[in-house]
Amino acid sequence: MSRRAAVIRALLPLLALLAFSSCASLPPAAPAVPPAQESRVVIFHFNDVHGKIDGFPKVAALIDAERRRGSDVLVFCAGDNFTGNPVIDQYDPPGRPMLELLNRLGVDLMTPGNHEFDVGMENLRLFAAQARFPFVSVNIRPRPGNEIPNLYASRLLTTKSGVRIAVFGLIQIEPGNGLPSTHPDRVQGLRFSEPLATALEMKPLRRNADAFLALTHIGYEEDVKLAASMPELDAIIGGHSHTRVAPAETVNGVLVAQAGSDLRWLGRVELLVRGGRVAAKKGELIDVKGLAAEDPEVKAMVARFNDNPAFARVIATAPFAIEGKDALGSMMTDAMRAVHGLDVAFQNEGGIRLRRLDPAITLKDVYTLDPFGNQVVEIAMNAGEIRSLLRDSFEKGRELDLQVSGLSYTIRTDKELRILGIDLRGLDGRPLAEDRDYKVGVSSYVASSYRFAHRDPGRSLNATTAEALIRYLQDGADLSLYRDIQRAFQDPPGRNDRY
Amino acid sequence: MNIQVNDRVVEVFSGAQVADALRAYSQVTWKQVQNGAKVVLDGAGHEVALDGALAEGSRLRVKRAARRGGRA
Repeated sequence: MSRRAAVIRALLPLLALLAFSSCASLPPAAPAVPPAQESRVVIFHFNDVHGKIDGFPKVAALIDAERRRGSDVLVFCAGDNFTGNPVIDQYDPPGRPMLELLNRLGVDLMTPGNHEFDVGMENLRLFAAQARFPFVSVNIRPRPGNEIPNLYASRLLTTKSGVRIAVFGLIQIEPGNGLPSTHPDRVQGLRFSEPLATALEMKPLRRNADAFLALTHIGYEEDVKLAASMPELDAIIGGHSHTRVAPAETVNGVLVAQAGSDLRWLGRVELLVRGGRVAAKKGELIDVKGLAAEDPEVKAMVARFNDNPAFARVIATAPFAIEGKDALGSMMTDAMRAVHGLDVAFQNEGGIRLRRLDPAITLKDVYTLDPFGNQVVEIAMNAGEIRSLLRDSFEKGRELDLQVSGLSYTIRTDKELRILGIDLRGLDGRPLAEDRDYKVGVSSYVASSYRFAHRDPGRSLNATTAEALIRYLQDGADLSLYRDIQRAFQDPPGRNDRY
Repeated sequence: MNIQVNDRVVEVFSGAQVADALRAYSQVTWKQVQNGAKVVLDGAGHEVALDGALAEGSRLRVKRAARRGGRA
């Protein structure tokens, strides 16, 4: 454990106590704004940036301009800062560019999204400890010893004109496993409660504030349900579903806002507070690309982050150049199978975007080879279902299409390339057992684009195929395997050049 | 999970995104959305991104994209 991580771990009990006390000891109810006084609060918000940082110079300039006008300005982030831009995701340490940009922007509050966990708990703890703003999420329940610094159930913010705004946070969970949509290994030590039911526990916060908000990462449809069940709220500022809600909607008297994704839009919610309550409210989206002014300091930061030196780092060295789709596809599918503990893995040839990898393999090479950000999807399939997938893959172009790990196959055809049969052989060269299910991994593109029989709808493993290859290479895979290798055959041989 | 796309329900894997539901619905529609000819709306009529998250029972509607730079 690094010294920095050890310090954070040592401070966790104190931080947990602070988090608890922040929820439990709100000041007694009393309107902070005298009845005659009227305050206008502007809340800028964004969500699901996913490492797309190019809009930050314009966003910073706009927010700073509003601050200079003397407005009561708050900045909220509704989660999912990471995952979606390899240049940022692969930064060392992970998450650093987003941390520096959010700190520079002067974010007041953030709710963690499911992809915040993608960088791993230790990196998330570092991110949280160094953030100059608190996190809120009432349904993240760390087990003792697994606390996240700076994470609170709710916060009571006071604007410079004295308006008190109570905000609680929520994170989505999957109905199947009760965890946010990330790899389960990354949220060990945390428990999560059902967001909508947990939100109801926050109703008392209303009494202590002039405005009562939820900052959520549960998706627009769930935000609408939350509004229906909690009319005490003045507004819900959300994320997760990447929904462009323009203008913000009013549901059951609650303003529901969300600003799309990738920082293409900046949300702007305006609250008119009079006599200790919100008298009027509205929300709109600002097209970031259409903004003219840029903050030069933030522009320089973005340029520095985009020139990520880690991207050029050599992560593995092969004894020779790895050439051709058979070799590259075998390596990619071996990576999926090894990293995710699968029996079989497939990769479509259209998703292999290089013909050759030089021996010194960099992160940039991996993302050039596999640039699409497809997820690994696990499906339980028997031999007949695997044949169904191979049949569809062949019939698309009357040629071999799927590279494979964990078995080899031969598609037998007649002269018109009509399929006569498909032979499957296991790693031992013997025919694949017909009477059992196999854990099969395919890319999300194959899972949704190919038409094949499968009783199990499958599940995303919340990791990309490129990430599997990076881990496989970094873990010291034996790359000497990937020369003169072939696992997919056509009988009689087809027109594929098998380069 | 079952997702309604226009007038049809498609089954996709758990954790699928908007793009996956569109591909399961129709490769032609998927390509039209990819090249900007069409956009995807949720059940309430709000535009959603292709990497947006879905939940069981989500509804999507694909419609022609507004023309840019056309006459008022």
